[in-house]
Amino acid sequence: MTIDEVLEAVNAVFIDVLGDPGIKLGPATTARDVEDWDSLTHIELVVAIEKRFGVKFTLGEVQALQNVGQMCERIVEKTA
Amino acid sequence: MAFAVGATFARRYVVSEAVYEGFLATFGDRNPLHTDEDFARAKGFAGRVMHGNILAGFLSHFVGEGLPTREVVLHKQEIRFRRPVYLGDALDFEATVAHHSAGARALELAFVFANAAGEKVATGRLQVGLL
Repeated sequence: MTIDEVLEAVNAVFIDVLGDPGIKLGPATTARDVEDWDSLTHIELVVAIEKRFGVKFTLGEVQALQNVGQMCERIVEKTA
Repeated sequence: MAFAVGATFARRYVVSEAVYEGFLATFGDRNPLHTDEDFARAKGFAGRVMHGNILAGFLSHFVGEGLPTREVVLHKQEIRFRRPVYLGDALDFEATVAHHSAGARALELAFVFANAAGEKVATGRLQVGLL
């Protein structure tokens, strides 16, 4: 998958988990930019993304992510 | 604590008189479907239908006391009530680890409650955080 395809799929996961069809993620998006993306929904998002792409993150990888773009890059790497 | 995908946990829960009366006393849902035998039978059931959320109480017990570690917190639960449960029913509960996220420190478990006839009375999923 390309980084753009991953971003689109991640966006769909966010819409599904957070229940907000208006979510529009970009590479620089962080939790501060998305209503209801808090510590608890973050866990739900990580689980949903792992299942969507068939990948697993380590705790260190998740803690190191700075924004949506970095998450998408890790997904591209793991699905290559 | 290892939670391999596919690992199962099973136990039996009984909707006893004490459980039923305790639920009624605590939450006060005395809808006739749950409390009036004649009403429930007139609506096509075999007797008073137990409150679906008694099963939610069993889920709470399972998460809090039935996993190999008590360092857990329930994040989310989804439950579908598929068949009526009656007073005195013994329900075989089984939960299977469907996903284990080390990155999120969380488990997803798929569960089923089955009655003595082997019929699924409720199914659903749990998301449990590992503390």
